[in-house]
Amino acid sequence: MEYSFDVERRFDSPAGAGNIEAPRGGAVAHGEAEDRSLNVWIRFEVQADGGTIREARFRAFGCPHTIAAASWAAEALRGAPVEALRSFDVDAARRALNVPKEKLGKLLRIEDALRACAERLTEAALEPLEG
Amino acid sequence: MSARPGSATPIYLDYAATSPVREEVVAEMLGCLGKDGAFANPSSTHALGRAAARIVAQAKVRIAARIGADPDGLVFTSGATEANNLALVGVLGASRARRHLVTTLIEHKSVLDCARALEAKGTEVTYVRCGPDGIVDPDALERAIRPDTALVSVMHVNNETGMIQPIAEIASRCRAREIPLHVDAAQAVGKIPVDLRALGVDLCSLTAHKVGGPKGVGALWIRPGISIEPMLHGGEQQRGLRPGTLPTHQIAGMGKAFELADPEVEGPHLADLRRRLRDALAEIDDVHVNGDFDRGAPHILNVAFPGVDGEALRFALRGLAVSAGSACMADSPEASHVLSTMGLSDAAALASIRFSFGPTTTADEIDTAARLIAEAVPRLRRLALGAPAWCRELRSGRATGPGGLR
Repeated sequence: MEYSFDVERRFDSPAGAGNIEAPRGGAVAHGEAEDRSLNVWIRFEVQADGGTIREARFRAFGCPHTIAAASWAAEALRGAPVEALRSFDVDAARRALNVPKEKLGKLLRIEDALRACAERLTEAALEPLEG
Repeated sequence: MSARPGSATPIYLDYAATSPVREEVVAEMLGCLGKDGAFANPSSTHALGRAAARIVAQAKVRIAARIGADPDGLVFTSGATEANNLALVGVLGASRARRHLVTTLIEHKSVLDCARALEAKGTEVTYVRCGPDGIVDPDALERAIRPDTALVSVMHVNNETGMIQPIAEIASRCRAREIPLHVDAAQAVGKIPVDLRALGVDLCSLTAHKVGGPKGVGALWIRPGISIEPMLHGGEQQRGLRPGTLPTHQIAGMGKAFELADPEVEGPHLADLRRRLRDALAEIDDVHVNGDFDRGAPHILNVAFPGVDGEALRFALRGLAVSAGSACMADSPEASHVLSTMGLSDAAALASIRFSFGPTTTADEIDTAARLIAEAVPRLRRLALGAPAWCRELRSGRATGPGGLR
């Protein structure tokens, strides 16, 4: 299996990995996706405020390409409108990182996790404010 | 050697895959290649041919001495894969009344795929499972034998886990039933004592490149009186069982490699390295030896690292040249058939690594490898914090069997 320099760099130092610590305002939601047959699990956590994604973090059990693409997604989403969670195109990450096409099945779980985040953000927005 | 990730010269811990050719072997082979050497066809009757034939005969003696067998029983092949095929296809082909083969689910693909090819042509095959310790139970194997069994085929040392199979016990059961036993000894020679006479083995596959010999040469040893048909046709060399001009240089190299591969000399060093790595890895949480450590060959340690993705772990350890116990497809990882048979979950089988050592492996290299692993595994586990239970399962819904580090 070949790994591009960008995949190697993001695998070794995955920017955006971890959880959102002490969110300051806005709504925080997480979403997960997995495919056991592909040996992959992804969890994203996003913080949105005023329709904008302020922070995106991920955790991953998966191959180097999956980890690198999740890291790429976390950085790309920061500052993007929340609609980007639903419209995120993981193939853009794949192309940017030179990930082989055969890995697309695993990478698509990133899209699934982000859409799950979007669902929960919507639910959070509909919940009545406490007090 | 450098051990930094991405280094061009990783630490080589993949001797079970193949080994560098020993200098003494290279010298032996070079003596058979040039015009001033023993280049002639060993089947030629002139003086130069006879000189080459003497080198082949000397190699046979060296090989036979290493395996405790009669040199005349050796038939040279292109390697153990061909030897395994010749054993199975040849014995089943020569058998008219008996059309049943017994083998195990942990054999090398060159046995399993050959067995499946035979099945497609009408041979009935019984595949015996191993226990969670990676070892085949002789009783279970004996129960698989039928009146129409033509051959039993069991490997001596498993190439993935290093587990030593109870060949002497299996051989005695086969002998009592008058069924020939074939043993693939590719991973056993040079690592543990192999004495075919004492074991009572009828056919034995060998290869040169696992013990510092060249790739592309191996042999099948056949006990006199075993009926076997050739797979190839086209000459009278090797009693017609494997025709074709003998590659003197390859055979000479194999002979020298077998002469040098003395388990009494190299085994203790290999066993020390194996124990050293096992002890170092025991410092990491939730790490498991695949198989029964005390019943393994000294050169292989197969370890499961539950909770990390196998491909990610191997990439994190790219400063090491190691093998996965699995066939890694691009998008559909396939767990090792051996580890799955032992009851490991798919995720744990995929997260298993085979470390294998050779005579030039050093304790420093083992320490460096252990340090790299101790950095990589917790990092990847932190990255996967909160992952579902299947990512961390060692076994497929069963309790952990023998083989845990603790």
